[in-house]
Amino acid sequence: MTEEKLILKEDLLRICDDVIKKGDTLLAPGKSEYVIVKDVSEIKLDPEALPTKISFKSYVFPKSEPVLYYKRSKNDVTLIDADVNGRKIVVLGAKPCDTGSIDIMKDLFNWDYRDEFFNLRAKHFIMIGMMCKTHDEYCFCTSVGCSPVSENGSDLFLIPLSDKEFALRIVTEKGREFIEPYFRFLCDADTKRTEEVLSAAKNPETAFDPDEVHEWLGRNFESPKWDGIGEVCLSCAQCAFACPVCHCFDIVDEDYSYSEGRRMKNWDGCQFGHFTLHASGHNPRDIQSKRYRQRINHKFRYYVDKFGKILCTGCGRCSRGCPVSIDIKEIVSNCKD
Amino acid sequence: MDELRRFARELLLKKEVAAVIGYEQVGEARTRPVVITDPDECRRLVLNEYCLNNLVVYLNRARIKALARSKEGIRKLAVVAKPCDIRSIVALIQENQIRRENLMILSMNCHGVVRDFGCEFNGDNLAAKCISCNTQSSTYADKSFGEVREIPKFTGKLEYDLSEIEQLPPSKRMEFFREQFDKCIKCYACRAVCPLCYCQRCITDKTIPRWIESSSHSRGNFAWNIVRALHLSGRCTGCGECERACPMDIPLSLLNRKMAMKSKELFGYESGKSTDNPTLVGSYDQKDSDELFM
Ligand code: SF4
Ligand code: SF4
Ligand code: SF4
Repeated sequence: MTEEKLILKEDLLRICDDVIKKGDTLLAPGKSEYVIVKDVSEIKLDPEALPTKISFKSYVFPKSEPVLYYKRSKNDVTLIDADVNGRKIVVLGAKPCDTGSIDIMKDLFNWDYRDEFFNLRAKHFIMIGMMCKTHDEYCFCTSVGCSPVSENGSDLFLIPLSDKEFALRIVTEKGREFIEPYFRFLCDADTKRTEEVLSAAKNPETAFDPDEVHEWLGRNFESPKWDGIGEVCLSCAQCAFACPVCHCFDIVDEDYSYSEGRRMKNWDGCQFGHFTLHASGHNPRDIQSKRYRQRINHKFRYYVDKFGKILCTGCGRCSRGCPVSIDIKEIVSNCKD
Repeated sequence: MDELRRFARELLLKKEVAAVIGYEQVGEARTRPVVITDPDECRRLVLNEYCLNNLVVYLNRARIKALARSKEGIRKLAVVAKPCDIRSIVALIQENQIRRENLMILSMNCHGVVRDFGCEFNGDNLAAKCISCNTQSSTYADKSFGEVREIPKFTGKLEYDLSEIEQLPPSKRMEFFREQFDKCIKCYACRAVCPLCYCQRCITDKTIPRWIESSSHSRGNFAWNIVRALHLSGRCTGCGECERACPMDIPLSLLNRKMAMKSKELFGYESGKSTDNPTLVGSYDQKDSDELFM
């Protein structure tokens, strides 16, 4: 059950200060990425900021991390476990299109193999989401079951009532545990005002119906529509790496010397030409149109079939940042006859 | 703009070119590359301050090259290019990647572009490369469109000043670049947008042996960014697309510009200036400075 309180911004910052002093990591949206806050004066808490260029994904699923170390001797190989860093990370003011991202990826990382690295980090996340009061032409959270007021994935949720006050909703048990020591800072809620603010949310217009897209994709694997996109897309991984829920990775061994090395888990992107390149030289996704088709199908069909979730939060990052201005909202909206 | 549309349409109707690579408007302050083969689609073409992409990158793409191939032989490709983009064409011709006779260059008479999509076009938001531009129209193109107007005077502030960074002691400079490169996520957008990064298989993708670690840790990032800068030395024409594409806001142009300055200072060479010269890295003169020999 969600409980609502009221908190002054200055008190919220006091809590943040305490988090930093305790040595926990405090993350907040910065200029182009989520940054580790060193001093509370850096905190902006701007509900009118657009999503950062890349999400906080790297804090739960690092762009590059060792999963084990190895030592070779004459007749033997010794494996040494990598240390998983499971320190507490508090994300402050995460956008509703980001807060749900960990839950979406969790299914993949616990599918046939439980990824300890991801799980341990995810367990130590405290997500303080914040209502979003803006959107641009690339946003489409409302088309994928999210919204500017969605508490999904948040442990605590902030609703800015004015420059100085927030309604604070305690969404999960984890959120309650986090905030309990600071209960002295919380006042009684003014739920009427909160409701007013929430109902004034500026929802981006819905652009498509995900069920219809799902159905269309099933029938249109060979649609000529994919060709046009394939001509313009330059096959980089900006879209995948900026995305809060894209989760593909590559496993590579890095030798330091003949006898020692480590095994790394690195971000990978399905738009790279060599992503599906087989050792034989055959590449089932040899051209860009097939790769882009994969991107859309994975997000709006395969993931839905497998885990019942859309692999997209509608944040629009991939479109905003695309060097050749390919717009996922436009493409998915065109997934119809 | 209408003139360009008419001209491009004629080219396609008369089958003089296989395709027209140009810009289409998407939203108020953004354009997108578009590859047109249907003459009627030429009405989508635009020319304005939001034509940021360097479309020359497409000329070397397998899919686009395939469009030009027909039973009768190779047909021309038409490409819309800003005068600064044309330097990339010249560089590609010098490097035997494309042939002038297979191209129809449709140039735009340029008065500057914005630094990024979504900004209003004014002195504050002028792209850095346009500040000192002296090639607003091209004589190398087959045809130019639009009028030459004055470039707005730059009134913005550049985030990094190359001369300031040059002044730093080596250790500080190293620290600066290491910090910047640490941000890299290896999305390779910088490589993808670069018309001169055309290797079929980039050295970073080679696995046996692995020259550049694919991991995006300090060492891997450093190796990648330095290799990128070195492989473009004496080749980069300064279109600035890598820096614009970088999602992590790494000032990639700083190294590119420094290397271009060095090429000019040591060898009097400017990339993309003339197809009459051999390339800098592909030629040797006994009078060449040995300062860069390792
Ligand atoms: S696919 Fe694009 S819009 Fe969807 S979550 Fe990823 S970055 Fe955001
Ligand atoms: S550098 Fe010159 S030609 Fe290139 S976009 Fe700027 S003004 Fe136009
Ligand atoms: S575009 Fe930027 S983040 Fe991506 S690989 Fe290049 S330098 Fe790294």
